[in-house]
Amino acid sequence: MTTALRDFIKNPTTAELELVARYAMQPEDGRRERAFLAFAETGLPHRRMEAWKWSDFKAALKALETPASASANDPVPHDGALVFRFAPTGFEQPKTLPEGVRILTQPTTQALSGAEDVPLGALAAALAGGGARPSTMVIEITSSDLPRLHFVFDGAGEASFARIIFLVRSGVSLTMTESYLGGAGFTAALLEFNLEDAARLNRTIYQRGGTDEALAVTGLINLAANSAAVQTTLAFGAKVARMETRAVHQGSGAKLTLNAAYLSGKGLHADITTHVRHGAPGCVTRQLTKGAVLDGGTGVFQGKFFVPRKTGQHTDADMQHQALLLEDGAVVFAKPELEIYADDVECAHGNTCGALDDAQMFYLRQRGIPETQARAMLTEAFIAEALSTADDSVRDVLLAEAQNWLSS
Amino acid sequence: MLKITNLSATVGEAAEAKTILNGLSLNVPAGEVHAIMGPNGAVKSTLSYVLTGRSGYEVTGGSATLNGEDVLDMDPEIRAAKGMFLSFQYPIEIPGVPVMTFVRTAMNAQRKARGEAEISAPDFIKKSRDVAKMLNLDAEMLKRPVNVGFSGGEKKRLEIYQMMMLEPKFLILDETDSGLDIDALKTVADGVNAMRDPSRGMLVITHYQRLLDYIKPDKVHVLAKGQIIKTGGPELALRLEQEGYDGVLGEAA
Ligand SMILES: Nc1ncnc2c1ncn2[C@@H]1O[C@H](COP(=O)(O)OP(=O)(O)OP(=O)(O)O)[C@@H](O)[C@H]1O
Ligand SMILES: [Mg+2]
Repeated sequence: MTTALRDFIKNPTTAELELVARYAMQPEDGRRERAFLAFAETGLPHRRMEAWKWSDFKAALKALETPASASANDPVPHDGALVFRFAPTGFEQPKTLPEGVRILTQPTTQALSGAEDVPLGALAAALAGGGARPSTMVIEITSSDLPRLHFVFDGAGEASFARIIFLVRSGVSLTMTESYLGGAGFTAALLEFNLEDAARLNRTIYQRGGTDEALAVTGLINLAANSAAVQTTLAFGAKVARMETRAVHQGSGAKLTLNAAYLSGKGLHADITTHVRHGAPGCVTRQLTKGAVLDGGTGVFQGKFFVPRKTGQHTDADMQHQALLLEDGAVVFAKPELEIYADDVECAHGNTCGALDDAQMFYLRQRGIPETQARAMLTEAFIAEALSTADDSVRDVLLAEAQNWLSS
Repeated sequence: MLKITNLSATVGEAAEAKTILNGLSLNVPAGEVHAIMGPNGAVKSTLSYVLTGRSGYEVTGGSATLNGEDVLDMDPEIRAAKGMFLSFQYPIEIPGVPVMTFVRTAMNAQRKARGEAEISAPDFIKKSRDVAKMLNLDAEMLKRPVNVGFSGGEKKRLEIYQMMMLEPKFLILDETDSGLDIDALKTVADGVNAMRDPSRGMLVITHYQRLLDYIKPDKVHVLAKGQIIKTGGPELALRLEQEGYDGVLGEAA
């Protein structure tokens, strides 16, 4: 089988051969195989694929190697949270779980629909598991009265794969956070959220990575009628880091908020990619992405709203991307897209990219605020709006991290 | 205090560089208030920017010293820490930064640059309350982002609030009177007069005599063509009001 699979990836790179070898060590499982085949179709995504033209994993990830840099510290509080930790070879979860959260660690892989749209999500599905780590972790939420669930991805190693499926039952609210702290040469995580009628999700993602690490976080969110999801991301990038979200409004009255801030420094690349399908009438999407990039850093924003002719009627959707190029040599690629076939909709989008305002900088400096601090103040004020939707327990932490980065 | 000698400056890139200051000299001793008047486009605001270090201008000759120290080579924030303050003709909006945060950050940055201790939160709040009261500023306004959604007159009052909070040594007021209603003009002038001090100098840029009724200048200068072309006492402002620039400058030319 391995040789057959190997043929699927044309001219495989060392990294791809290593991924094939890892797959060969997994137990045989038809769904796992289908997921791996979906990945193998393209191999590691690369610049000649439209959706990956600015984030070339094939070029960035030559081989699976433990990076020189250690994991970052987790600024997201662990106290008072139910903490799950995924390391390249290890896995930890709370010893006891309160009523209202039930975990099914599946020995087999769950089916992944639309796997071909998310090659690195499919890869995570195919390679999750092994050792102490669950193949697929299914978490059922039946109570709104739970502590925050916190998922940590850290620890040194060549590669780390995880797949988590959330079932948020009707009318139930879930607050969860994720910290991707680097340490592995390659991390691919797939998180799927199934929100039943009137369920609520507040998801906050913190990401930090080194200049020799690749990271792909794929989130799939299905929203049933009158459900609501709020997602807030703060990404600092890695050699290549892709934070991708694909959401589908499946029942009318659903509401989705997708906010992100990316801050890329030298040698770091942060990619925020989203795809929202308005598959039911009368749904709302609000998306705000803010970025700030330094010399030698790269930011990518790709956003798409897809509004079908029949099911997308009365869609109310707004997509905004605003980036600041803080220094010469900063690079931002942006592609906001609205694909709308329904006629009775309100859809808007905006996209701006520029430097800090000279007049504002001078005003701050005239009052005595040194240049670096002035720049940090203005940039923080600029991105803060995108982080305002984060859960109360982490919002200030995210702002403080952004501030530290800006004033260093 | 502030001594400008033969100051020349240009704006714009090499070939298109345009002379904006053309050998300007001006001396404002400590304790004095000097007014600068001059027609629109006379480079009054430009002079204030060159003195406070805004980028985009190139000094091509002459000097400007504050208490004997050459300021032209200093970064704007250093000049601010040394005591230079500009009340902007058009104050800038800073979305997302509340007034109180802004002023406290500025005050502590200046103190740090001067090697002084930071102001404590209670002291800052007390000072802010006193100044706001004097200027009839609503406490709610100080929680809002700097100048965002402020009326023209409110912005001008907020400039004076910042000035009174930061207690600079040398004050440049660029058309602080424009946009102020009659009562606000009086309030602002009271604030400025409260800052008068034997160790402080002021340069008041205005088009109107009315402000000078409240803030009595020691000298009045007329700026045109990049130079001070006439200097007189307070009566010069009155004459300008009656005869206009053509009348007064006609004799100077
Ligand atoms: N960056 C620049 N490039 C070209 N010309 C400039 C630049 N900055 C200022 N100027 C010109 O210099 C002149 C002086 O402008 P300034 O704002 O200093 O005048 P002012 O005396 O303050 O006028 P007002 O009374 O209207 O406020 C104007 O003609 C202006 O257009
Ligand atoms: Mg002016």
